[in-house]
Amino acid sequence: MLVIVLENAPPRLRGRLAIWLLEIRAGVYVGDYSAKVREYLWQQVQVGIEDGNAVMVWRTNNEAGFDFTTLGKNRRVPVELDGAKLVSFLPVEETGDSSAV
Amino acid sequence: MKERLSVLYIEKGQLDVLDGAFVVVDVNGVRTHIPVGGVACLMLEPGTRVSHAAVALAARVGTLLVWIGEAGVRLYASGQPGGARSDRLLYQAQLALDPDLRLKVVRKMYHLRFGEEPPARRSVDQLRGIEGARVREMYKLIARKYGVTWKTRNYDTEEWDKADLPNRCLSAATSCLYGVTEAAVLAAGYAPAVGFIHTGKPLSFVYDIADLFKFETVVPVAFCTAAGRVTNAEQQVRLACRDCFRETKLLGRIIPTIEEVLAAGEIKPPEPPEDAVLPAIPNPETIGDAGHRA
Repeated sequence: MLVIVLENAPPRLRGRLAIWLLEIRAGVYVGDYSAKVREYLWQQVQVGIEDGNAVMVWRTNNEAGFDFTTLGKNRRVPVELDGAKLVSFLPVEETGDSSAV
Repeated sequence: MKERLSVLYIEKGQLDVLDGAFVVVDVNGVRTHIPVGGVACLMLEPGTRVSHAAVALAARVGTLLVWIGEAGVRLYASGQPGGARSDRLLYQAQLALDPDLRLKVVRKMYHLRFGEEPPARRSVDQLRGIEGARVREMYKLIARKYGVTWKTRNYDTEEWDKADLPNRCLSAATSCLYGVTEAAVLAAGYAPAVGFIHTGKPLSFVYDIADLFKFETVVPVAFCTAAGRVTNAEQQVRLACRDCFRETKLLGRIIPTIEEVLAAGEIKPPEPPEDAVLPAIPNPETIGDAGHRA
């Protein structure tokens, strides 16, 4: 199982991902591929993301049963807690950054 | 139990419920969500504060909160009080009170630990003596296997820093194991204090059960860590414990093992007495384990 979520991504990248994955909601892509294809897809995201941000999550054999990786700026950032991966939600920046999601 | 993360350590921050979610908020206002329903036990280190709502939520989803001192020296525990199931508590108590039944259970524990029948016609006390000698031998053996200098097990929590590295690693690792074992004992509806080999401690039964897994899980992990180059021993041990718990599928095995050990007494859990008043309002079906209150 593989899920990619894009925010603020250029249409070109969205179209590119839709070649392999099913876009079940705006910016939410689902599929089931091997590690090799997953890396290839993530590389496509890295190349095409521009100012947007992305997260990819996939099933794997760790304690949580899944792992994820992120790209670009987002108020939610992954944190590592003694080997368990959680997410921290940053407070709104004072500078009035309107791009914060 | 088996589908939960084993343990999470919270070092500092305020545990609270925001928008219905269990969060840790640090001094900068950064919120870290904890999927509390998916964790077997939360270890709270010095530097954490917990709100009333957070404790209530943890209890509702059956997550054990354990307050621990620095480096895993335990202070206090809560979240799920023991003995939520009177039938299982009475069953456990009956086994522990009857000398013959208790000996059967202890012999089963011995059998599970060492993979062989204990010598016949021995008392619990004699078995404990044999076990102690074998345990000291096993420490030596595993220490030699990983090339660790091993003198003796040192439990002195007062003089923590004076303990040698293998002992510190071992204490950190066993505290992980005790945490998940206590969570399992409570989830299954038994009382942590009613032990068979160990007695007189609030966690006697937890030590009994944890000992069944100790030498295949946390002891090798602790010695393996102590043998390597360590900068932050306690943290490295925890990380290694997490991997080890997953690989040995520990969380899925503890509760069945508890049932197996108690079943060695060959008695059935007691039926409610005929004149007992059954609950007027039946307990609701929940997705939690049998011993969880909600």
